[in-house]
Amino acid sequence: MLSVTNLVKTYGKQNAVNDISFELQGGEVVGLLGPNGAGKSTTMKCIVGLLRKTSGEISLGGYDHLSVEAKRLFSYIPETPYVYDLLTVHEHMQFVAQAYGVKDWRGKAEEYLELFELADKRDKLGRDLSKGMRQKVSICCALLPDPQVLFFDEPMIGLDPKAIKNTKKIFRELKEAGKTILVSTHLIDGIESIADRVMILKNGNIVGNDTISNLKKQFVQEEGTSLEDLFLEMTKDE
Amino acid sequence: MNEIRLLFRKDIFILLNNLKLILRNPLRLLPYAGIAGYIFFMYFMRLKSRGEDTAAQEMPELDLNGIPEVNFALQNIVGGVTILALVILIYQLFNATKKNVSFFKMADVNLLFTAPVKPENILIYYMGRSILPSLGGAIIFVAYGYSQAIDTFEVSVANFVFLILSVAFFFFIISPIKFLVYTLNSKYDVMEQIRMGVVVLAVLLSGIIIIPGLMAEKFWQGMFAWITSPWFDFFPIVGWSRGIGSYVIHGNALLSLGFVTLYGIAYFVILKLVIRFAGYYYEDVLDATKSNEDQLEKVKGKKQVGESSYSLNTKKKLALPDFGTGAKAFYWRNYVHSSRQDFHPLFGLYSLIMVVIGIGLAVLSLFEWFSHYFLYGYLLIMLFLYFFAGIGRANVGDLKKPFFILIPATWAAKFWNMIKLDILQISLFCIALIIPSVLIAGLNWFIIPLFLFATIEVYLIGFGINIIPQIALDEGWDRKLIKPFMIGGIVLFGFVPAFTFSVLAFIASKQFVWALFGGTFGMFFVAAILMHVTLDVLKRLEFKEM
Repeated sequence: MLSVTNLVKTYGKQNAVNDISFELQGGEVVGLLGPNGAGKSTTMKCIVGLLRKTSGEISLGGYDHLSVEAKRLFSYIPETPYVYDLLTVHEHMQFVAQAYGVKDWRGKAEEYLELFELADKRDKLGRDLSKGMRQKVSICCALLPDPQVLFFDEPMIGLDPKAIKNTKKIFRELKEAGKTILVSTHLIDGIESIADRVMILKNGNIVGNDTISNLKKQFVQEEGTSLEDLFLEMTKDE
Repeated sequence: MNEIRLLFRKDIFILLNNLKLILRNPLRLLPYAGIAGYIFFMYFMRLKSRGEDTAAQEMPELDLNGIPEVNFALQNIVGGVTILALVILIYQLFNATKKNVSFFKMADVNLLFTAPVKPENILIYYMGRSILPSLGGAIIFVAYGYSQAIDTFEVSVANFVFLILSVAFFFFIISPIKFLVYTLNSKYDVMEQIRMGVVVLAVLLSGIIIIPGLMAEKFWQGMFAWITSPWFDFFPIVGWSRGIGSYVIHGNALLSLGFVTLYGIAYFVILKLVIRFAGYYYEDVLDATKSNEDQLEKVKGKKQVGESSYSLNTKKKLALPDFGTGAKAFYWRNYVHSSRQDFHPLFGLYSLIMVVIGIGLAVLSLFEWFSHYFLYGYLLIMLFLYFFAGIGRANVGDLKKPFFILIPATWAAKFWNMIKLDILQISLFCIALIIPSVLIAGLNWFIIPLFLFATIEVYLIGFGINIIPQIALDEGWDRKLIKPFMIGGIVLFGFVPAFTFSVLAFIASKQFVWALFGGTFGMFFVAAILMHVTLDVLKRLEFKEM
């Protein structure tokens, strides 16, 4: 479903993403892990077209990632939620429904607003929402078009415990529905239960890309090690 | 006084660190060197041409009774500048009744306000220090402004010093006054009375323009008669600054120093009053400090510019139907936004005010209270405003949200739907302004379509000028250094020929309509090229998180 080949993104002389390649099969849930500044967000933004790649090839569902056809296939939830100041929560739903041509969206929108406890905020303007509520709106907007692929960039940041629980529930439902998900997160515990595979980035390079059990076998010999231990082992400074 | 010494040391450290940053990358001085070079070049050219032009001083023209005639041109220039200063003062005073002023940074709030220091000393230091930005701004303003008037005035240190003091004191004294207003309100809850006082002052000042205007044969000949008279120099702040600056005309240092002293006394009194009434002011300045910091970050581009500023109708309930799918969602979004920004999405209050002013000028010119040139000037100001509206459009709204990149539609469709509402609003505004104005003032009918085209053109040019370097040039110094060249190129090869064409058309025809035609014709090519490039570079748009 997603193919990234020799992706490079440089800022000035520094390589933020250093010639990485990977693939995501349809229905796969992959966790993107790495310390701050590893290049997780940059990789994701290059894939969804928010940043220009310096070189490399990215395709989604067989289409170039910047094509209109590819954009119909995915949704992206940014780390910092961006909402329009003078649009209400409900109008954000209407905006996205129009943009993606979603038919009969109202029922679905109400469902998501209900799930993320935004139903009573439906007439609140974007500018009057707290950061957490904006993040919830951002997630609802991304889910509404029912895309094949979802990119979550630190989706739990700013969410309250209940919303985190609901987001994890959404992850599981999306996985059951056969959606492809790439999720970048620092919440290692959360990803361990739902990810089919994890990719660990360090200094713009992929230092591990496999199932959690395989990675444990490769890098940690001791019994009972957690994904957190594995992560710390793989990203420690030499 | 230990606090003041401490704060002074802190500022010295900041200054030294800034100098170190400059030394690490002296290239950042290049734009400033460019500005300095331009100003020196202007001085050099003007002084050279002045040396060649040794025309004798002319005697003032006398009327039939041997009394010197009023120099209306000079009177209008002095009056215009005085009015501008009065408007700034009234606006600032009125503003003071709405929000507090702050001399602090958030770092001061977090580090100093919680430290065991005397609040008064911090206030005294920062209030005094706030003269530095005013002084710096005044130096640049006077250095540039004086270069334009060098044909008329002598170049001397004293002229410079008095002019700089005149501008610097004017802008400096406003902040302490605003702070005093706020502190007086905190203590006595007198904001309504102060606001009423400001309104009364504004009405009185309008009176001293309208009354002599009505008394004169022609309104424009009399309107500045009172405020340009020497007694107006004693009007606080605006008059005092004029009194200091008028040294360049009368050369009487003692008189100008007298006005400097008036400023000194006023500052001392304000400071004493502020210290007395401010009390424990920390909480009062918190909001203002935070909002200043936010503003600064927006200017530096570190924070997104709010799109909902100056919204008049945010509580409006809407139930708009869908406009279509794909990129049309942007037009829908802008329509909803605009419905809340103003009272009607297509023609709002701001437009109505501008139309009324324009038609008012047309009526005045019909009765010969004003020359037609005032109306023409107003139309040119409108073009200027829409040029900046175009520049601003690239900094707010859809282009600053990830949706613009993510939504599946062609770039051309997204671009068109993003600006469609603006084009409709501009068209309606132009029609509402220009048709009645042309009919009332009896102007050439061709001005109607020309003004409409010109406004749309300048809007698109402004938009293109801002967006193209943003997308086409990479981050950092490339952008900072190349952007001025790019804009310079557009001005040199686009604006200048169009403007020249316009001036030539005016010289040949002596008619505004031909000047407008010349400019519109020339700018059509500039707008077309910029739009072509914009559509070309738009697909390279990146989303930078703030």
